[in-house]
Amino acid sequence: MTESETAVSTTLDEIAAELSEADKQERIELLIDFARSLPPLPERLEALKDPDHKVHECQSPVYLFVELEGDRVQLYGDVPIEAPTVRGFVSILVEGLNGTTVPEVLGLRSDIIQRLGLLEILGMQRLNGLNGVLHYLKSKVARAAAGAGASSA
Amino acid sequence: MSADYAHPEVLVSADWVTEHLNDPKVRVVESDEDVLLYDMGHVPGAVKIDWQGDLQDQLVRDYIGAEKFATICSRAGIAPDTTVVFYGDKSNWWACYAFWAFKLFGHKDCRILNGGRKLWLDQKRPTTTEVPRYKPTDYKVAGADEAAIRIFRDDVLAHMKAGKPLIDVRSPKEFTGETLHMEDYPQEGALRGGHIPGAKSVPWSRAVNEDGTFKSASELKALYEGEVGLKPTDDVVAYCRIGERSSLTWFVLTYLLGYPKVRNYDGSWTEWGNLVRMPIARGE
Repeated sequence: MTESETAVSTTLDEIAAELSEADKQERIELLIDFARSLPPLPERLEALKDPDHKVHECQSPVYLFVELEGDRVQLYGDVPIEAPTVRGFVSILVEGLNGTTVPEVLGLRSDIIQRLGLLEILGMQRLNGLNGVLHYLKSKVARAAAGAGASSA
Repeated sequence: MSADYAHPEVLVSADWVTEHLNDPKVRVVESDEDVLLYDMGHVPGAVKIDWQGDLQDQLVRDYIGAEKFATICSRAGIAPDTTVVFYGDKSNWWACYAFWAFKLFGHKDCRILNGGRKLWLDQKRPTTTEVPRYKPTDYKVAGADEAAIRIFRDDVLAHMKAGKPLIDVRSPKEFTGETLHMEDYPQEGALRGGHIPGAKSVPWSRAVNEDGTFKSASELKALYEGEVGLKPTDDVVAYCRIGERSSLTWFVLTYLLGYPKVRNYDGSWTEWGNLVRMPIARGE
């Protein structure tokens, strides 16, 4: 199995199924629920909110943190509630990808945004920021994995 | 406080909106960048009109036609003589954009809630998640205002060649052309970075205060006339990336300072920066 064919986490698949089966208004409400349920950053990360952990593509201040526990990915995010769309998306990624492996995250295709049914509620022009979040997340995971590989070598 | 603006009646306070919440002649419209905000709680009685899903054509890059606009207004209980008050997130960017779009169709009485969504929430004013229903109206589009407030690329080129004032309201890095060259970030939708030659950089945000309200007339004059050298009689074109931030600047120059000839170039950088052989300037 090549990396790009790696099965994506079932949790994320379940979220995608739930969202895409909902009608437009329900989907908006589900996304709001996700936005409201993003866990707060652990205190030790709160102090590390610096430009290096900021997703610059987004108009809103979005911070993402990636940690590895063995071969498992642990994600943390911080987005103001005034930007519920991005916050909801980050919350979906945190819930859907925590505990998955590095190849699973790197193999995640960017059509996940469409599979979550977000295009219909957000429109084309609002997807840029979300693509930026996904892109940033993958590059962070790749860097964390490379760092882990280097230190164990 | 707002008495020194050229058209102070176009800017309404949160108190004014509170007093008119049940006024059938007034309709409050929320228009946001983040499309979820309205559903998380909005001004009681307000309707949502989305700049992208409602006001833009979904096929051609343009605004909807008169018929669709009439349908949207009818559905929102807006009649041709209704006072429409726009408010939204991001210091009213999208509220100004919706205001501008309503003016394209010639809607007469449009206003902006000074401070927008942020100030309303900061002042702990009432919100609801209840979506109101209004009796449909028989809306007839007045139209005919487009040429006065909207400009297309060929005319922008002529405007540039004539050396007339152009205001670029994007962030300083977008103006210099630096942002398209940052590593690791997806492009913003233009193949070239920079600005229209001769344009002056005045980021939109310089016209608003921290709390989302507009700066005073004297502060705005000091900025646009003192610093940038505009004259009230100038023929001014404003642009940004897709025309949203520049509609805020258009609003400021037209209504708060009273300039009679300001047009918004909604093609903006996502058009100009992609056109073959268009002149572009880099740096400051």
